[in-house]
Amino acid sequence: MNETEARLARIRGAVPARDHNARTIAALCSNPGCARRAVLDAAGVDKQRLAAYIDFPARFGQSQFAITRGNAFEAQVKANGCAELLRLLREKLGLPIPEVSYDDLELVGGNDSREVRYARSRSLLARAAASGAGAGTLFDHPLLRLEIGGRKAYLEPDLIAFQLHDRFHVVEIKSFAVIDGQADAGKVAAAVTQAAVYVLALRDLVTELGYAPEKVAHDVVLVCPENFSNRPTAVLVDVRKQLTVLKRQLSRLARIDELLAALPAELTFDLEVDDAGVPTRPAASVVEALRTVQARYTPECLDTCEMAYFCRDEARDDTAALGRTVRDELGGIESVTNVLGLANGSLAPAAEQVEAAQLLQMAARLREESLMAMLRGVAL
Amino acid sequence: MVGVAESIANLEKRIDQLRAEVRRAAMSGDRARARALRAELREAERAWDDAIAEVERKAAPVEVEPVTPKQAGPLLPIREQVHQALTLLSVPAAPKLIVAVHEAFFAGQMLGTRLTSLRRDEERSFRSAPYSRPYYICSALTADLLSAARGLLAISTWPMSRRIIGPLSPRVDFLTAAIAVAEHISRIPDPAPAATRLLWRFAANIPGAAEGFDAMEPASVARAAEAELAVHLDADTSLREQAGQRARSQLSDVEQLFGSRLRAVPGTSGGAREAE
Ligand code: SF4
Repeated sequence: MNETEARLARIRGAVPARDHNARTIAALCSNPGCARRAVLDAAGVDKQRLAAYIDFPARFGQSQFAITRGNAFEAQVKANGCAELLRLLREKLGLPIPEVSYDDLELVGGNDSREVRYARSRSLLARAAASGAGAGTLFDHPLLRLEIGGRKAYLEPDLIAFQLHDRFHVVEIKSFAVIDGQADAGKVAAAVTQAAVYVLALRDLVTELGYAPEKVAHDVVLVCPENFSNRPTAVLVDVRKQLTVLKRQLSRLARIDELLAALPAELTFDLEVDDAGVPTRPAASVVEALRTVQARYTPECLDTCEMAYFCRDEARDDTAALGRTVRDELGGIESVTNVLGLANGSLAPAAEQVEAAQLLQMAARLREESLMAMLRGVAL
Repeated sequence: MVGVAESIANLEKRIDQLRAEVRRAAMSGDRARARALRAELREAERAWDDAIAEVERKAAPVEVEPVTPKQAGPLLPIREQVHQALTLLSVPAAPKLIVAVHEAFFAGQMLGTRLTSLRRDEERSFRSAPYSRPYYICSALTADLLSAARGLLAISTWPMSRRIIGPLSPRVDFLTAAIAVAEHISRIPDPAPAATRLLWRFAANIPGAAEGFDAMEPASVARAAEAELAVHLDADTSLREQAGQRARSQLSDVEQLFGSRLRAVPGTSGGAREAE
């Protein structure tokens, strides 16, 4: 264990690291400027548990119902030798009839250690890549790896990698409906970012094997139920844009050392659980630890980060909590109290705030005048 | 499953402890701590719910629709029902398909939930008194590691190669089963709606099998399946036979039926270790 890893282990405390999956990695990239999230995620802290413990429970996450529905749809698409998936790939992508080979990489003779599974995924994909068409078409549940914040994280994927014309494609099976060719934009965006994570991890693997990254297509196959039936349909989605974003954010995370250097050496988010698994650390002490790591709350956090309610509360007086555009329009002043003070003249502007203060005062005057005009209009 | 049961037991213990802690904190007036522990408690309960849901999902991979027993004749033991359905299909199959076949062609109700433990019961029976039954419901084996193929049931009296699953076998078995179902339907005078629905599930995913549900003809489904089968069959058969020979020469009797565990097989990477 190198120094950074030891440090991260201390921060996490005496619990196993949270696994990353495509969902957490995709979310990781949604607020790259936040040191708090970067540290918590790099250390593999269970943010959901942490947030609940300090009484700001996250209010997102998949419902059990959605998970069950998702699993059932996936099982259906893969049932009977992937019969439905093969039909789709043949119809939509022209997969030749002879190409039906299917390898399940989830279990390795009852040995499901990740190292073994990864090695097997790697060797089967290597063989398929080397011998081209016919040497493997569908690979279910390959275990992939991606470097996150300097650590190799295994990705527990629920995907199929699929080889067509000597190229691998990622197949992502999702249970939200495509109705008349349209689907919920937010869900599609999330699914596509997740698929991009897999493309990236798969590209890492093929580059390690000595191929060009383009051996993995930037088009992913999204399989969803069509209209209101359970019949699956497939669309090809280009994920190049998501790949660029992802790579940039991951490279920022790779510099976790720089972040750690600025933090107190004894920092930890250990809940100090006793033998029965009951945490003994006072919540206030956890909050104090959290406050030592700088956050950068934005309204988008509510959809992507378990810590959102805590950070929002902390940032209540912070103009950034209103969103980036609002902060810019408020002249870049950081605190709501100060904005109001400058606007009504009760707070003297510092040298660099003079211009902003003038703008704010003008805005306040305009508001006053239009309000008066409105009142007069009502009076008439 | 043992692992899951164990973790459920642990969670229950933890939930009890947490309740006691919450009560103590509340009584001592430590509201912050009581709140924090409450949150922990909720998390633990959620984890417990999830674990239970997972157990249920695993225990019932089959959604058993409440079928009204057709003719309330004497209920065959589950292993005989499965034997019947598998014999009709002639290839290893997943519980879901077995239930569908039973519903389509046989009388009485099949309890999907009981399929889960069947293979384990059969293995136990075989271990305690080998070959004392005329047949066992056993596993299909993966071609490379000769371990139990996930979620497939087979019959012990079949030739070994038929129980081997190579990369092409899932498709080959799907097509073979389609032909078997089509032929069976064409032999019975008045197939039940469940039977036609079952055939359609095959036909819809075989090129050229049927224009649509209403235009479906068992004979043309079988023909289309045979046409595609011809493309894959040779390669699949030779691989299955090779692996079958390996299984017969390398595995113990019980392993031949229920799969080898963690045996290093030459020529596969992954370094599976000898264990247990
Ligand atoms: S919620 Fe907090 S920790 Fe999470 S990304 Fe936003 S600011 Fe960072």
